[in-house]
Amino acid sequence: MLSRIAEAMFWIGRYVERAEATTRLLVEHHQLLVEDTRLNPAVGAEALLGPLGIVPPEPDELAVLSPAGLVRVVVGDSADLSTILGSVAAARENARTIREALPGDMFERMNATHLRLQAGISTVIPGIPLRSLLDELAVVAGIIEWQMPRDEGLVFVRLGAALERLDMTCRLLDIDHDGLWPQAGAATTLRAAGGLNPFLRTQRALTGDQVEGFLVLDPTFPRSMLQSAMRAERAVRTMATYVSPQQTSTLLRTVGILRAELEFASVNPTPADLALLRERARDAAFVASDAVAAAFFRQAGTIVWSH
Amino acid sequence: MDRPRGSDLIAGVRPWDEMYDEAGAVRSGREPLVEALAALGPDGLLARARLRDAHLSAQGITFTLSGRERPLPMDLVPRIVDAVEWQVIEAGVAQRIRALEMFLDDLYGAGQILDDQVIPRRLITSSAHFHREAHGVRPANGVRIHVAGVDLVRDEEGTFRVLEDNLRCPSGVSYVLENRRTLSHVVPEVFTGYRLRGVEEYPARLLAALLAAAPVGVADPTVVVLTPGVHNAAHFEHAFLARRMGVELVEGRDLFCRDGVVRMRTTRGSEPVHVIYRRIDDDYLDPVHFRPDSVLGVPGILNAARAGSVTIANGVGNGVADDKAVYPYVPAIVRYYLGEEPVLPNVTTYDLRDPDERAHVLPRLDQMVVKPVDGSGGYGIVVGSRASDAELAAAAAEIEADPRGWIAQPIVPLSTSPTLVEGGALAPRHLDLRPFAVNDGERVWVLPGGLTRVALTEGSLVVNSSQGGGSKDTWVLDSGDGEPLPPLEPELVVDDPGPTFSAAQGRGNGEGRARRDQPAVHSERMRQQEEQQQQGAPGAADPGSRRGVVPC
Repeated sequence: MLSRIAEAMFWIGRYVERAEATTRLLVEHHQLLVEDTRLNPAVGAEALLGPLGIVPPEPDELAVLSPAGLVRVVVGDSADLSTILGSVAAARENARTIREALPGDMFERMNATHLRLQAGISTVIPGIPLRSLLDELAVVAGIIEWQMPRDEGLVFVRLGAALERLDMTCRLLDIDHDGLWPQAGAATTLRAAGGLNPFLRTQRALTGDQVEGFLVLDPTFPRSMLQSAMRAERAVRTMATYVSPQQTSTLLRTVGILRAELEFASVNPTPADLALLRERARDAAFVASDAVAAAFFRQAGTIVWSH
Repeated sequence: MDRPRGSDLIAGVRPWDEMYDEAGAVRSGREPLVEALAALGPDGLLARARLRDAHLSAQGITFTLSGRERPLPMDLVPRIVDAVEWQVIEAGVAQRIRALEMFLDDLYGAGQILDDQVIPRRLITSSAHFHREAHGVRPANGVRIHVAGVDLVRDEEGTFRVLEDNLRCPSGVSYVLENRRTLSHVVPEVFTGYRLRGVEEYPARLLAALLAAAPVGVADPTVVVLTPGVHNAAHFEHAFLARRMGVELVEGRDLFCRDGVVRMRTTRGSEPVHVIYRRIDDDYLDPVHFRPDSVLGVPGILNAARAGSVTIANGVGNGVADDKAVYPYVPAIVRYYLGEEPVLPNVTTYDLRDPDERAHVLPRLDQMVVKPVDGSGGYGIVVGSRASDAELAAAAAEIEADPRGWIAQPIVPLSTSPTLVEGGALAPRHLDLRPFAVNDGERVWVLPGGLTRVALTEGSLVVNSSQGGGSKDTWVLDSGDGEPLPPLEPELVVDDPGPTFSAAQGRGNGEGRARRDQPAVHSERMRQQEEQQQQGAPGAADPGSRRGVVPC
């Protein structure tokens, strides 16, 4: 497979995942801000924007940011890849460059989604357009899972998605909903990961610490860090069957060690243990992403001949 | 506000309005809501109503009426309860439940209150819901009323009065939680300027109360919700509560009793069940003791409860305490057990077994509401002001035939609140309030707010959802004594840049939290890609191309 195609596949995986996780988070965070107005809106906005790495266009605006204003900033624009529109645009752009290598109508789907989002969404009732965006992203994920050939390309998409998911769960936990909204915060964190019901079925006390432990260590919840690390490791091991072992060694070591640290973590982790594991996961996601690029996407630099 | 045509009210009575005072001025604390609704306007409200309907249908937030699933109509105008008003309701409801707990414990034990002749013994023994089978069933933590819904109405003076108690399977709490989420989803604007008490903690409170009621000596009790099944009117609620508590939703056929223990059938064999939050009636619960033809119940479950291996919540036989004929005695019950005056008054109620009271009521049936003592859902109620002469005569005959079966109350002018009606207008409609209380044995906790039911038909006083009633999100204003949290100090986290493979690589956004992004396309490459002429492509002017010109 061409390095260029593999690279686009990897980033499609990442940006679709990022758009999905950011949208889900925005829907729930917005609803929390609307219902629980005890907190200064600027604090509520900053609590989300900081961990997402989004800088509002006008720094002063933050002081008067309403829930609707926050939606506008997080939906964002194509230039900021941390925003929803930015990640959708980036996923669509990658799909465009490898349109011929993608199954069915995948590019068309992403293109249509991008166009709709670009035309603007209602920030007054953002829940409705954002939920349909989630539906559309689910269709894209469905096309990937159902229609993509079981080859290297799919492995790159999956690896990208797993690493991004790891990173997004780190960011979700950085928001500290539980500390800021003692009543409904912990449930919001779980909803933002689609995990309220799975959590309630396995745990009883809905406290911030329990939620953190669940999102880091739960062996079956698809957005827990452990699950993401397992998925990443599985992808790398599959990839190793296509390429030479040297190419995947750094990558496999990174995700494998992380998976082992999470899988064999203490049964009753202390808050300090969890903080350390989150830190490890964050670092590993970064290192692994760089390792993928170094191993597979290395391209000749652009050489400009001059007289 | 004139008395609307076809009203159930007695002429000349002016009901209390939740939003406007007698002079028509907006009541204190309602101004931001009135402004937000005015800003939306009739067209805006209608558009939101359509979104709401679509949302409720898609979410499957329904109740089943006559075999059809329907969304419970939720009005877009919330009902506001002040912090001070709420304190009274909260105290009154908790007091009532504490007293009724003691009452039930007494009835199914020594019967002291009957010996002391506070309540006629005949009244109890004649109740259809007094189950001798429940005698001697000792709840583990002393609780029989794990969940209660107390129906309140507000009279023309603005006083909240208790209309009835629901101590068996009070339903509607799922709509309280869903209404809040639906309202903030569909009309987030109306929340601006308000600080509300949250409702989300209900499932956790209920689960805690059910766990606290587990049989003694069970370390990790298994709680289940027992539903009659998917065809029940409140099946949505049963599923909702099971999901939000993270417990199994079971039907009778999923359970069986062996050796005095209730067990559920699972893929890994059978597992013991310790607490059953049942949402099926006593009559259907156990074919061994009650209706032998019940296919919904679990044979032997009552014996298991008596043996103390399982807790049934709410308790069996609770219906005797919410019997409408016992209701007039509840103030006396509160005084008897607690030595306190009731915080919330009753509505005047005539005991039709008493010949004098019957003689008072019968000529005045056109000014009374007549209710069957063991009915629910608004079935069988005769509203005197609206009934025809023939209907009144029929009611009188039924009362004469079975005085124990009926109670009569003067028509209470239920308070009104602006409600969205046809054409996007807001018009007053009558409403009640059902706060929900959860008793964990330590204290009675009352969910802030509760279910506001609204009679959507103009002038109607019947709010039951089975009779064309809707609901409103109920806001209890936060008194604001909780200190707001200090604002966050904006924190700038810049990660260590780490190894890079290209100077062009984006490392996030400079500020905020760093993130990995795809390297930017080299601008020169992009420019040159754009420059390349594409043969035949639209917009590509290629004079050398003959495509489309050569006839094929």
